Amino acid sequence: MNVAFDAATAESDEALIAAYAAGDARAARALTARFGPRVFSHAYRLLQDRSEAEDVAQEAMLRLWKQAPDWRAGEAKVSTWLYRVTGNLCIDRIRGKRGRASVALDAVAEPEDDAPGAEDRLQMQARFSALETALAALPDRQRQAVVLRHIEGMANPEIAEIMDMSVEAVESLTARGKRALAQALAGRREELGYVES
Amino acid sequence: MSKADLELHDIELDALFAEARQAVPEPSPEFMARLTAEALAVQPQRRAVVKRGGFWSELWATIGGAPAVAGLAMAGVTGLWLGISPPAAVTDVIWGASVASDELSPYLSFDMALALEEM
Repeated sequence: MNVAFDAATAESDEALIAAYAAGDARAARALTARFGPRVFSHAYRLLQDRSEAEDVAQEAMLRLWKQAPDWRAGEAKVSTWLYRVTGNLCIDRIRGKRGRASVALDAVAEPEDDAPGAEDRLQMQARFSALETALAALPDRQRQAVVLRHIEGMANPEIAEIMDMSVEAVESLTARGKRALAQALAGRREELGYVES
Repeated sequence: MSKADLELHDIELDALFAEARQAVPEPSPEFMARLTAEALAVQPQRRAVVKRGGFWSELWATIGGAPAVAGLAMAGVTGLWLGISPPAAVTDVIWGASVASDELSPYLSFDMALALEEM
């Protein structure tokens, strides 16, 4: 995350949205620095493609800018709203892609090249690749719930708000998703570096 | 093979999630610059600041400015003029009821008309 940008302001999200709508350029920069990286990383985790994640992040942020003048304070958190928009855009893309051709599950993006050593990097690459492949095989909503709960680290009530469903439905989705992942990854223990005890 | 062997253990899966959580995909600086440029490009223009004047200018504006004051001044002058030199018609209307009957005598008016005619 760009610390220099993010440290620029400690104002609340809603105050920044109001300032943005009033034409304050400083608010535009602060909001982009605060939410741009989060929206991008969430899109990347769902789509596993850097270029597509950038497109989705750009579209989600554009929707935020358009919504800013009509933003109703106290109704929804900016982050919740953005995660919802990003999730929906990602699911639309995944479904659109499925309509055109089957998704190449192994065509995941290369991890960053700055890992400490070649061996570690390869191991990490294998682990992420296995997890990403297993995640990609989950039904859309299950994947979204698992990513929000277990990778973004959100609480179930917030996920329920993002996904517009009950907390119980979120619990059920994440439990089923986790179980499916556990089954999908069972045969790849060695690849993951987990040695049978 | 037991059922447990067919699934990754919770602890293993949680470790994998934790690793994925740590590995936050970072956007490129170019992409961030693009996002910022777009945020600025579609931003509403800064609202014009309405400069508010002091009490007297607010009052001036409230009563309608120069045209209203000109109208008031004209009404005032007219009123003053009527007070100092009221036209006969106005005097008649105002004083008509209390004027002494001899002042209204038609003979007096007739005499005056004759006198003027002889001049």
